[in-house]
Amino acid sequence: MSIWEKMTSLPREIVMGLVLIAMIIPAMNPLGLPLFTGDMSRAWYNTVDALPAGSVVLFDVGYGSGGYPSLGPGNIAAFHQMFEKDLKIVMMATALEGSMMYPLVMEGVKPEQNYGAVYGEDYVFLGYIAGGQTAMAGVLGDLKALVSVDYEGTSVDSLSIMDNVNGADDFDLVAYMTTAGGTAEGWVYQAYSQYNADVLGGCLSMMTTSIKPYYDSGQILGIMDGIKGAADLEFLTGHPGDAIVSSDILSFTQALVLIFILIGNVSFWMTRGKGEAS
Amino acid sequence: MDYRRDIPLAITFLIGIIAVLDYYTGVQVITDTFTLIKNWGVVIQGFALGLGAVNLLRVHGKRISQRSGGTDWMFSGWLLLMMAMFIVVGLGTGQYDAGPTYSWIYNAIYLPLGATMYSSLAFYMAYGSYKVLRARNFDAALLFITAVLVIMGNTPALAATFPGLFYTREWIFGPIVSGAYRGIRIGIGMGAVVLGIRTLLGMETGYLGRR
Repeated sequence: MSIWEKMTSLPREIVMGLVLIAMIIPAMNPLGLPLFTGDMSRAWYNTVDALPAGSVVLFDVGYGSGGYPSLGPGNIAAFHQMFEKDLKIVMMATALEGSMMYPLVMEGVKPEQNYGAVYGEDYVFLGYIAGGQTAMAGVLGDLKALVSVDYEGTSVDSLSIMDNVNGADDFDLVAYMTTAGGTAEGWVYQAYSQYNADVLGGCLSMMTTSIKPYYDSGQILGIMDGIKGAADLEFLTGHPGDAIVSSDILSFTQALVLIFILIGNVSFWMTRGKGEAS
Repeated sequence: MDYRRDIPLAITFLIGIIAVLDYYTGVQVITDTFTLIKNWGVVIQGFALGLGAVNLLRVHGKRISQRSGGTDWMFSGWLLLMMAMFIVVGLGTGQYDAGPTYSWIYNAIYLPLGATMYSSLAFYMAYGSYKVLRARNFDAALLFITAVLVIMGNTPALAATFPGLFYTREWIFGPIVSGAYRGIRIGIGMGAVVLGIRTLLGMETGYLGRR
């Protein structure tokens, strides 16, 4: 068997083993490789940046444990910017596990310590609301008819942040981070199409192709696409975290994948004649 | 008259008409009625989750009792044990999923497992790219070139060193992908409108479990 024949069918263990090594090296030794902030993340940052202090943001934590490595760091960076800007954040979860992500994200942001924010005055978490687009429509239609207590069981009427928040007209921005395609498009239908609200969308990188058409048409004002978008947000907000470290890992592994694709093609073409002859 | 068919169809028609009128007219009494219906929808979907849990218990309980699927019944047993543990801890503390014990169990077991399940895809995608992305013919070559350009544009260090790669990715995502995707979405949208009208008129009964 020639070297090219061997290269054309490398064992799975070798390929995956090398990918693992390419992940471990930058994870243990962050190299601080350069970043290129994309237009979509910059648009997200600029949209939030343009909001005056005191503006109310509806934020959907629409992901669970599977999406946390990709979306969690971006969520933390997004909240850093929002608390820095003194925005009011009304959080909810359209994902069942969203209520478990909320404490993890807040642990990363520490709004009380870092920004002097007060729960109930500057931010509130309404918990998981079942129903997907029905829940979105309910929150944007008549929030207090749908939600009477927050995640901790406190009446929303007793929380000052909710004093003037009843529905879509009271939100200056609707933002979400989700791993579900239905949720990502659902917010466009329910918030933009119905109420012409400003919408920001966070999603996994592989969902970008299905969400970007809404960005191109102005229905979504900014996109945080996966770990790359999260790294961009961390860079733009000046709060480096897990995503920037992960972008080194992304650079290493994707470069390795490119090398493997190259090896696969060169070896395929070098052995093609032999294969046809045999 | 078939009441089992006609009553659900009448309810669907009524709710559908209220939803349509709410969107197009904005009359207060209709909006209030539809708000009530939306809230019912959320409550019903909450019940559906409970029904899902009962169904999970039924399906996996049956698998355990029949010892079917080789040793798979053990996984069913583990699933039910974990479900029982989360229910007991959640209800026992009275704080549901906001309790520290519940959070600890979730963060120590489910969170790393969930993240690992998703992250392990990276290895299979890397191996799949190596095995499949080969320019065997013209179509495969197009796919190969597009994939390589998108991967290069999505690699942070490469995009930072050669910004042209990033803009190439953006161009692929723009006119090519968005154009195609819009066509697909418009097709789906038109289909959804037709399906909605057929459902409202009672011509579509698939959702009732009928053909």
